[in-house]
Amino acid sequence: MYPNDMPEPFRGNLLNQKMPDYEETPCAGGPPLTMRRISMISTAGLHRCQEPPFVPGRGEFRLIPDDTNIADLITSHVAPNFDRTGMMRDINTVFPIDRLRELEKSGAIASVAANHYGFMGATPPTEHVELAKNLATDMKADGVDGVLLAGV
Amino acid sequence: MCTRAVSGLAHYLEREGLPTTVIALIRPHAAQLRPPRALAVPFELGRPFGAPEAPDFQRRVLLEALSLLERTDGPILVDFADAPPEPGSGLASWSAPIEAEEIAGDFSDPRVRTDAIKSEITALRPMRDQFVLEHGGRQFDRITPLTLDQIIDLIQGFILDPSIENPMPAFALRQTVKFATDDLKHFYYQAGLAGAGRITDIELDNWFFGNTLAGDLVLRLKAGFLSSSDAEMRLFAERSLVPSHQAHRVPRANWAV
Repeated sequence: MYPNDMPEPFRGNLLNQKMPDYEETPCAGGPPLTMRRISMISTAGLHRCQEPPFVPGRGEFRLIPDDTNIADLITSHVAPNFDRTGMMRDINTVFPIDRLRELEKSGAIASVAANHYGFMGATPPTEHVELAKNLATDMKADGVDGVLLAGV
Repeated sequence: MCTRAVSGLAHYLEREGLPTTVIALIRPHAAQLRPPRALAVPFELGRPFGAPEAPDFQRRVLLEALSLLERTDGPILVDFADAPPEPGSGLASWSAPIEAEEIAGDFSDPRVRTDAIKSEITALRPMRDQFVLEHGGRQFDRITPLTLDQIIDLIQGFILDPSIENPMPAFALRQTVKFATDDLKHFYYQAGLAGAGRITDIELDNWFFGNTLAGDLVLRLKAGFLSSSDAEMRLFAERSLVPSHQAHRVPRANWAV
């Protein structure tokens, strides 16, 4: 469903929800895309089916190692108002792992990171502040210098 | 809400020196939160790369988002211009995988209702299994370790007694029931998508909530939650169980049991 197609009051509640007030964050520099190592973060509530599901409000993530069997990925996102049929048919609709590997093969990016990350997007962003610092440390240790973040 | 989450994470990671780029499905949120780099896409919620089984289109979206990494003149908010591709024109029109039961039938005995839902599930299982087989073996109905029969008994049991035993004690009971509800929905949706012709997620929601006994059970569950004296339960039900465009189907609270 498109946000503007949602019935009221749901549309208004979604579009007018309270937002954090961020100061401007300067952009970090880096090499051309062809020399970058890319990691992905999806907030579709993705995790391996062997792992516990997401609980709303908890600042947590699930590691998705690049060699994960993609058939094991499921979602436990709490929200009922987004399309799930796209990811049921093709996980690349939310987590384009096959497309990223194709870009690596064609040389459009240098490499795919060792790990990707599943978050549950309904969690208040402030729950992720400390966790993001640890995440950044791990990503840098792997040589990551580009992060794609995709919501649902 | 996800545009809020990815925008926040982008700020936090970029402050640590990691270049980020965001796919934003809710443009006004990205405009307000101003992550360092964002690509606003005019797609449905739940489809940040546009459409399933459309690799060329997905690759274009991905490359356009990644190309923003090379810029440092943020905050950058770029619009992706194109709508996602339509499903193949050769696809047949969709038809329901099973005939709709008479959901207004005499189910005053909850055991009669749960037995009828279990029969519905048995009828749908071949379609669901076919869909899973044709989609790499991914089973979206594996959030809980419960069987579908156990899930039906749990949901019906919870409607009758909100203090029943929790089969997943690591979680609050209402959360366990929510996970079970999603496993049930995902089973039906995978069955509904098997051999699918043209169908949208909204049409599939219409089928599940309007024409299946399991959908009817979820509506009754929401009604039960909403009649709770616990404000947290009511809020949980309001936000998590039934899509906004199906909310009109939720029965009045005294119809829940």
